Amino acid sequence: MAKLRISNLSIRYGDVRAVTDVTLEIPEGKITAIVGPSGCGKSSFLQALNRLTDLIPGCEVSGSVKLDDQCLFAAPALDTISLRKRVGMVFQRPNPFPQSIRRNFEIPLREHGTPKREIPAIMERALTDVALWDEVSGRLDQNAGTLSGGQQQRLCIARALALNPEVILFDEPCSALDPIASMAVEKHIQALRGRFTIVIVTHNLAQARRLADSVAVFWLRNGSGRLIETGPADDVLSQPRDPDVVSYLNGLNG
Amino acid sequence: MVLRRPVDCLLGWVGGLIALATAGAFAWILWDLVRLGLSQVTWGFLTGELSDGGRSGGIGPVLVSTAGILGGCLFFAVPLGVGCAIWLSEFVRRGSPWARAVIGGVDLLASVPSIVFGLFGMTFFCQKLGLGFSILSGGLTLGCMILPTVIRTTLSAMRNLPSDLRPSSAALGLSRLTMLREILLPSAFPGILVGITLGIGRALSETAALIFTSGYATRWPASLADSGRSLSVHIYDLAMNIPNGGANAAASALVLLALILAINLTASGLGERWRSRQTGLRN
Amino acid sequence: MSRSHADRVVEAGLGLTALLSGGTLLLIVWFLFEGAKPALDFGMLGHLFGDGKWQPGSVRDPQFGVMSMLIGSLLVTGLSILLAAPAGVLSAIFLSFYSPARLARGHRRLLELLAAVPSVVFGFWGLTVLVPAIDRLHPPGQSLLAAALVLSLMILPTIALTSVSALQAVPVAQLQAAAALGIGRPRLIWSVVLPAAWNGVGAGILLAAARAIGETMAVMMVCGNIAQIPASLFDPVRPVTATIALEMGYASAAHKSLLYAAGLLLVLVTGALICGMAFRRQTETSLPRSWS
Repeated sequence: MAKLRISNLSIRYGDVRAVTDVTLEIPEGKITAIVGPSGCGKSSFLQALNRLTDLIPGCEVSGSVKLDDQCLFAAPALDTISLRKRVGMVFQRPNPFPQSIRRNFEIPLREHGTPKREIPAIMERALTDVALWDEVSGRLDQNAGTLSGGQQQRLCIARALALNPEVILFDEPCSALDPIASMAVEKHIQALRGRFTIVIVTHNLAQARRLADSVAVFWLRNGSGRLIETGPADDVLSQPRDPDVVSYLNGLNG
Repeated sequence: MVLRRPVDCLLGWVGGLIALATAGAFAWILWDLVRLGLSQVTWGFLTGELSDGGRSGGIGPVLVSTAGILGGCLFFAVPLGVGCAIWLSEFVRRGSPWARAVIGGVDLLASVPSIVFGLFGMTFFCQKLGLGFSILSGGLTLGCMILPTVIRTTLSAMRNLPSDLRPSSAALGLSRLTMLREILLPSAFPGILVGITLGIGRALSETAALIFTSGYATRWPASLADSGRSLSVHIYDLAMNIPNGGANAAASALVLLALILAINLTASGLGERWRSRQTGLRN
Repeated sequence: MSRSHADRVVEAGLGLTALLSGGTLLLIVWFLFEGAKPALDFGMLGHLFGDGKWQPGSVRDPQFGVMSMLIGSLLVTGLSILLAAPAGVLSAIFLSFYSPARLARGHRRLLELLAAVPSVVFGFWGLTVLVPAIDRLHPPGQSLLAAALVLSLMILPTIALTSVSALQAVPVAQLQAAAALGIGRPRLIWSVVLPAAWNGVGAGILLAAARAIGETMAVMMVCGNIAQIPASLFDPVRPVTATIALEMGYASAAHKSLLYAAGLLLVLVTGALICGMAFRRQTETSLPRSWS
């Protein structure tokens, strides 16, 4: 079962072609890792999946992305607000709103029409999912900026979970964290398998091996990011076919 | 080395002396105002009516008119200025022709001499719109004048917000209105307040733009449509047109300086707090 | 759908405020132009530069010679810049390279306060303290010198503060490179720092010039307001701004439209100075530096 069907997706910023002609299916309830060297369009690709590309001036997207059977870009397109409720995102740098922890949940939940009295329970459940509840339950009205980097990132994951999305996009969620915080975050992503469809961009191949059910490798060819290999994680990571991927994996393994 | 030393010394001394002279001039001005006026500043002076053309009596009505002018000025400049800054930072691309035109117009507006604002205010608000010499006319004229201050400060407050607030709000499916109301404006609020405070400071200092818009009346103003002199116009009138008005002029100048000082300290205090909040977030 | 509708309403409303804000300048220029039209239509130019005197209200012999006032404005502004620019730049150098950090911080606060003192207070002080002092030296006291002194005191903080920011914007790496080559402080300032900071310093001076030429109250209170070409520093003068402030209350007909023309001229000159400044700065940095 494919949750997201991407076909012939190209992304350009003005004259720069960031991503060219990507066709990929993201299986439902599984973790799909996007790997590849930096600058090969992984993040741009991810941002197209919740139309965050709209925020970038001069960014043009062509091809099609379908969530279940609904088009993201072609008419009749899903409106961005309900799209982003269904497709959540966690960024590389933790980005809680500079307000209280509680407000970080209230603002998005109220926006999507959750009644006020249901919010505390949702917030508790989401924070428990990332093992943050015990750490912050006594100081929910403190500014989220006072949390440590790892806690902030887990808060951001919980904030995305609270909207009960169908898909969650992770854009190198551990690369701004120290190794211990990074392992904690990874463990929580692991635990979300099955409940959500997860797409994670990472440049950490060991992490991809530990987390992913399937892997897509992006590569820079002719000045543009392309998908060069895809399949179940075990196959791609242990027996890659593309020579570039072979040397990439060997280089990093050796 | 030996040859270089004297130049180094000289440069240090000359610069230091100039800095000292600047401080000295400031002290001199303050001392003269205190010497001439401090004994006049009493509660009765602040609340009492003017008498004998301002030579004696207090500045009560003048303070009320000043507050009225400020109120009119903020009523005009704050919504317009903050709105314009939000539009510039959130709704147009930075280098787009529209944004450049508006910013260019605003920066040029900041350079317009205050007497020209007076000329314009008299023609447009007093005569064309028929508001006459009134507190409202004066306030609106000052509103045009402080508009650039409010816009520029609000704009830089908005642009200095952490850049990831916008994508993170969008990724949660917040509408632009919610993003503005719940995320961006609360974060930028102290910065916006600094801009408004700076604008108040400029408005309080202004004289030339008011002489022919809000007028000279010394009575208690009954409404915004009444004429009334601001504190700065009062000082000017006492100094230039009223023989022996010096003592009360100095006293009024002290009051004005105290207000400006308070405004300035508020602005820089707010700025400090804002900055520490911003950096607190980034650690 | 309703949410994106609300978004669109908000965007339109904010766009309107931006249009009004940007349009204020156009409105001002338009009204000045409308007011000045008769003066521009009258074939006045000959009068403006041909007539010897400024007596626009006279019924029998109206004369419209504006040269004395233009020269007055130029002299007052030029002299005050001549006094304030070197002093401002030197004190900025002192604050950035010579004074202890704590003293520099204190002095910056003082300069910011001095910049916030209302012009009418400067004018009052000039009138009650400076003018009598000059009068003792050389009557009548109300003079070009008094105006230039008061004005230079008013614009000195602007020049000093913008120069300090310009000097401090010079990359530390350049200073380290110069120090590592054993270059002494004066040469470092003269050959490394000032060339790099010159655009910023120049921008500050242009900004100060725009403020000086537009200043009304302080100048009007100490300059004597006699429309003549001064023969010495101690003679009274009357700049353009003072003329507008003194006469717009009662002027009519050709006289009044001349005042509008004077306003238009001021806007053009200060606008040109500000464009020059922006060109020098060339970056779109924020104006208020006191808190950013």
